[in-house]
Formats: sequence, structure tokens, C-alpha cells
Amino acid sequence: MNIIETNNLTKSYAGFTAVSGISLHIPKGTVYGFLGPNGAGKSTTMKMFLGLTKPTSGSFVIDGKKYPENRVQILKEIGSFIEAPAFYGNLSGEENLDIIRRILGLPKSAVSEALELVGLTPYKSRLAKKYSLGMKQRLGLAGALIGRPPILILDEPTNGLDPVGIHEIRTLIRSLPQKFDCTVLVSSHLLSEIELMADNIGILNHGHLLFEGTLDELKRNAITQGYPTDNLEDTFLAVIDADNRQRGGER
Amino acid sequence: MSFGLECKKMKRTGFISAFLCGGFLAAIVPILNMAVRSENYFGIDDSPVQILMNANWQMMAMLNLLLVVAGACLMYHTEYADNAILKISTLPIKESRLFWSKVMLMIVMCIMILIIEAAGIAFCSYHWFEMSADVWMEVIKSFGYALLLMLPAALGSLLIASVCKNMWVSLGIGVVCVFTATLLPTESFVLSLFPFALPFQIFVETIENTAVSFMIAAGMEVLFIGISESICLKVRRLFK
Repeated sequence: MNIIETNNLTKSYAGFTAVSGISLHIPKGTVYGFLGPNGAGKSTTMKMFLGLTKPTSGSFVIDGKKYPENRVQILKEIGSFIEAPAFYGNLSGEENLDIIRRILGLPKSAVSEALELVGLTPYKSRLAKKYSLGMKQRLGLAGALIGRPPILILDEPTNGLDPVGIHEIRTLIRSLPQKFDCTVLVSSHLLSEIELMADNIGILNHGHLLFEGTLDELKRNAITQGYPTDNLEDTFLAVIDADNRQRGGER
Repeated sequence: MSFGLECKKMKRTGFISAFLCGGFLAAIVPILNMAVRSENYFGIDDSPVQILMNANWQMMAMLNLLLVVAGACLMYHTEYADNAILKISTLPIKESRLFWSKVMLMIVMCIMILIIEAAGIAFCSYHWFEMSADVWMEVIKSFGYALLLMLPAALGSLLIASVCKNMWVSLGIGVVCVFTATLLPTESFVLSLFPFALPFQIFVETIENTAVSFMIAAGMEVLFIGISESICLKVRRLFK
């Protein structure tokens, strides 16, 4: 069963199309890796799911609820982390999460649980503006995880983290479907990152969905197309390169 | 999004202390005025509140407006500075509630400064004039009217601050609006309908029908600004 489904979802701005008629199928209880180079349309697609930007055409359904009619109901089920960490710099990490908790109507224990999950408990009283980039990233993740939402949308969640932090967050994301019975949509421009976390992937380039399926299916597909398969990074680059050449050398 | 949450967001920003200090500063205006040149006002054949309001309200109203403009900028600056508004927009609440919660906080702050100022006027009446039973009623009416006429400017400042991501832009627009309002003659009914000019009106000096017209106009302006904010939010989502 798919928890998120899009139908020819498109977002155009004056002069260019950021997302062009994509039809995604994200199965429930899995980690779905959303891959693509910078500017491929990953963040725009995620923003549409969160109602931050309005689709130009097409539609999507999240957990059986249609946008825009059920925008608030959809958002009740989603924990998100989009672009850069977003927080109130004049408040501590704990106070920031408390604001989210109160809006979501969660018990007080949800804040300490979220802080614990991302390893921010020792720094909970420090002002968010004084956090390092990695700590801000973790605060953003805690804001997404608070209340254990059934759907998580994470846009490049490991940006700015050190190798240990990347490993910790990757392990956490990988464990979420089993731990909290949730579905994770995670974006990255690094296949090496995604292949360690995702069950299914979607590859996006210039707003077009080039591939959707499991990593094994990607490999099989690559063999038939004559792309290198020794290394998934090379496969990904070959898929993107072939698409760019088809579009007349666009990069 | 509740009033309590908005208060929490203002922690460590100096918002409440700025309003308190501003309120006291405005309340000191009539006291200082009476302390240094009370003889100018003793011979006037008006009620004490009318004399004091006529002599000081223009300066007090301007201080109030500057506070409202700065307060609105500060409120939205906390949302935009570290992109907190993006996170709030992804939570299951209507975006317009953020605006109306800020309006509530702003109204409470306006009430607070007007109470301080009313106390200043009442003190002057007591100290330099006769303190009759009518004074309190006149003060309450005057400051209730001032609060009502301040609402369009408060909402207008919040609307400007919500539209402009850069605090300096909204502060600049707000200050220009305040100074434009000071240039408009308060006797002209039409020109006084400019939201930032309305707070300069004085209840005790205005004839009843005109005062009612001003109050209706203030209500309509509040409604218009509220609708404008909803439209701005919808339009912004289209272009994001």
C-alpha cells in the first residue's frame, strides 16, 4: 500500500519548470530515497507535500487524504525537515521544541524524548542561535521526529554533520520504520548516502522522474541500458549523464 | 497558536521591556510638561483631562505609534531571522492564526501602555487640577477611544512586517507612515482616516458623531487589513 502517491505533479515558475509531471509511489513503512543533483526538484516536491508551495498542475494523496482540501489533516501526520534548520534563535533548543509540542498538542515528555533521539539532551538549555551547524541540524531533526509522526519528510538531513553525526542520523533514519512504524521520505544528492538507508529510490533530474524502484531494480535496469553497475554512484551518474545528453547537454 | 505561545516566542527579545519603557516614557510627557510650565494650562476653561490631552497627546500618540511599529517588526523578525516561520508553516495550523495571535499580543501590549499613560494623565489631574469623580470616567473613555483608533495602525504594522522578510524594510515603511501621519492635519476627517493618523485623534475634543464615525472607520480598517493579510498569505504560497 502506498502512503504517498502523486499524479503528474508539476510546479512551474516563470521561465522554468522545477517539477515536471512526476508520479511517485511511496510504500507505507519504508524508507524512500529521493535522489537527484542540486536543482533537480527534490525540495520543491517536498515543499508541495507540505503545502509550502502550490502545485501548478497534477495532484497528490497522502495517507488517503487529498491536497489542498485536507491540508491541515495531512500536516498532522507529517514530521518534516526542509532545507536548512528552522528555529527561534532567541530560544533554547528545549524551548523551540516546546513550541512545536504545544502546537501539536503533545505531552511534555515528547520534548525530552525528541532531544534524546537526536543526542541533544546535554545542550537543551543552550540558545539555538549558539548551536553549531550540526547541532542546529539535529534540532531540526528533533522538530521533525517529535510526537513520532507516521510520515517523515527529510530534506538532506545529514548536511553539515560530521562523519560520526552522519552515521548516527543514518542509523536513526534506517531504524525509524521498525521503531515508530513510520514511512520516511529522505532526499539527498549522494547515492552512497541513500543506498545505506533506503528501501526504494526515486531519481529526479531537471524535474523529471528518471527511475523509481528498489536498488536491485536500478541495477538490473542499468545492466540493460549498458550503464556501469560495479558502483551505484557510477550508475547514478551514468543515468543523470544520459538524461542530460538527451536534453541537449543541460547540466 | 495561542497568545501564550506568542509571549514565549518573545522571550529574550526585549519586546515586553521595550513596551514597558515606552509606556512610561509616554506617561512622563504630561508630567514633565506640567512640572515645567503648568502656569500655561491653569487659566483654560476646559476639563483637566481635555487640557492635558490637548497639550500632550500628539507627542504621546507618536511614541505609541513608534512602539507599535518597532514591536511589529520585532515580532516578525523572530519568525524570519532563523527561518522559524518555515517550520511553523509545516505544522497543522492555519497560517492566518500566526498573524491573529500576534495581533492579540500587540493589543495586550497597547492596553498595557495606554493604562500606564492613563495613570500619568490621572496623576496630573490629581496633582495639578481638581480630581473630581468625572475624571476617571473621562480618562477611561479617552483611552478606550485611543485603543480603538490605534488598532488599524497596529494591524497595519503587523501586515507590513509579515510581508517583508527584512526587518529594516518593514521598520522603514512603518517610520515613514508614522511621520507622514504627523504631517496630516488632524481636523481633516478624510485625511485622518489614514491608519497611522487615526491614533492622533482625541476623544474629549471630538464631537460625538465624528467620534462614532472614526470608530466605525477604525473597525472597517481592521477588517480590511485582516482580509489583506489572508490574501497576502495565499498569494505568497503561489510564488514560493
